[in-house]
Amino acid sequence: MSYASSFYFTLPEVILSLSGLALLMVAAFAGKASARIVTILSVAALFGAGIFTAHLLSDPAFALGGDAFSGVYRMDAFGSYAKILIYLATIGILMVTQRYFDSTGEYRPEYPVLMIFGAVGMGMMVSAVDLMTLYLGLELSSLSSYVLASYARSDGRSAEAGLKYFVLGALASGILLYGMSLVYGFTGATDYLSILAAMSDGLSGGMLFGLVFVLAGLAFKISAVPFHMWTPDVYEGAPTPVTAFFATAPKVAAIALLMRVALDPFGAQVDAWRQIVIFSALASIVVGALGAIGQANLKRLLAYSSINNVGFILIGLAAGTQAGAGAMLVYLAFYVAMTLGSFVAVLMLRDGEGRQVETLADIAGLSRSHKGLALCLAVMMFSLAGIPPLMGFWGKFVVFRAAVDADLILLAAVGIAASVIGAFYYLKIVKVMYFDEPAGVVAGKGDAASWVVLALTTLFVSPLGFLLTIWLGNWTNRAAAALFFAA
Amino acid sequence: MVDLSQYLPILLFLFVALALSAAFVFLPMGVSRLTGTHNPDAEKLSEYECGFPAFEEPRSQFDVRFYLVAILFIIFDLEAAFLFPWAVSLDITGWAGWITMMVFLFELIVGFAYAWKVGALEWE
Repeated sequence: MSYASSFYFTLPEVILSLSGLALLMVAAFAGKASARIVTILSVAALFGAGIFTAHLLSDPAFALGGDAFSGVYRMDAFGSYAKILIYLATIGILMVTQRYFDSTGEYRPEYPVLMIFGAVGMGMMVSAVDLMTLYLGLELSSLSSYVLASYARSDGRSAEAGLKYFVLGALASGILLYGMSLVYGFTGATDYLSILAAMSDGLSGGMLFGLVFVLAGLAFKISAVPFHMWTPDVYEGAPTPVTAFFATAPKVAAIALLMRVALDPFGAQVDAWRQIVIFSALASIVVGALGAIGQANLKRLLAYSSINNVGFILIGLAAGTQAGAGAMLVYLAFYVAMTLGSFVAVLMLRDGEGRQVETLADIAGLSRSHKGLALCLAVMMFSLAGIPPLMGFWGKFVVFRAAVDADLILLAAVGIAASVIGAFYYLKIVKVMYFDEPAGVVAGKGDAASWVVLALTTLFVSPLGFLLTIWLGNWTNRAAAALFFAA
Repeated sequence: MVDLSQYLPILLFLFVALALSAAFVFLPMGVSRLTGTHNPDAEKLSEYECGFPAFEEPRSQFDVRFYLVAILFIIFDLEAAFLFPWAVSLDITGWAGWITMMVFLFELIVGFAYAWKVGALEWE
């Protein structure tokens, strides 16, 4: 290990950290007026970090990845792939945020800075190969998230969401830390390779307890059932762009983190955690599908939808194979596009006075007044429901195929049955938009930046997305292989 | 199973500490009642100088500035706490340790400048 290569491998995080610090100074000295320029510079920093990550991903010289800083951080195709997804989601959200805060005038330059620090933490989460790095990254991204959730300070619901998220997040961090301390106590190591070696000889009771507690803490972070109860409240209360952020970037990071932890240090004991993951996957799918049916608020509905999707992603993890990991990564890419697109569409729903509307009744007959918006939202809903020509179907298909290949046929069958229940409320949104009497609440046009993000995500999940599947399949295969390289 | 017998001294220590601290609290109370010096009045029971009332409405407003000062205190207190182990082990960690700590201090200074500039340190 040399410092030069360590810094080269961690350069995406270094770029973002330095930009974050510099922009924080701009925010402090130039004040509120600098919000727009700080946002633009933040997008540029994320874009730069993303380009460099793509370089690390595509350069054949780094095909095998490499360790940085004495093996606490690992640069490989898996981490780079997850980071690109995280950066793209964050860029998309930064592009649509400012318009949302226009009506309240609460947009401040601290907002993009918090997003950047969150992205640094998430990059560390997906690249961590040591429990200490894992925890540092997780806390850095969580602390940014707590502040962002309560960003609309004058709104009581936003403050409530922030407080709820903080208290429950701190509890989950405590559970995770307790599990990590047990794992450390019984294996004598915090780095993944040593834990793997210690667990290969057999699983002692203490190790099992540690494993269960670590998985429980991470299940909270990805809002998998039975640790999902905070999700609808926080998603409803937080400002909509922040909700879109929570549902995309931190979720990608937490799922990638869970994949690496489950398959690398705990990879020798797949049977020990497989039943937990199977239970969590099925429970998430069922609770996400049934919970969404009665919701009148679109943000709450999308919160249950994200719980539902996490269940499908966990099916790939339950397979415990390289194909399963690749399928999860494919699903994640489409999940990010679908969730981001749905939330941007919700963001563009405003009444005549520019206020945000977010209930199902408000979008009745939307297709009459806003053809383009209704079409995009309908494509997202069909894709989330898994209707074949759209890419949401492809994501579900690869996940279920991996489960069937791993002889988890029952799991796949129950998952497919539950996805039919989930299709009900996705289709209900389409029905309300196209066949109900117009409510005439939504007025005005969206801004250009929102349309760009919405159009790009819609194109990505539309059948045109199949053109990209060659690259996507190539990347996810390499990323999944990188995960199994160490094991 | 982990051998717990080596922790016996700590257990004994905890028991002794519990017994002694209980004695320190309850012995003076008992003695003052027995000797007749136990004579509370309104002045004796009120909060001393800057103390807060111990019992009051739980919903009363608490100045948020206290939290801000407390958070800033924790951050810079921890910074100082980090400096001690760093200083005594500098001969082992060498230049790498020195540069790492300087980076850490630089980040805190940026945070400090931010807090100062936005007025978090002003009481009024």
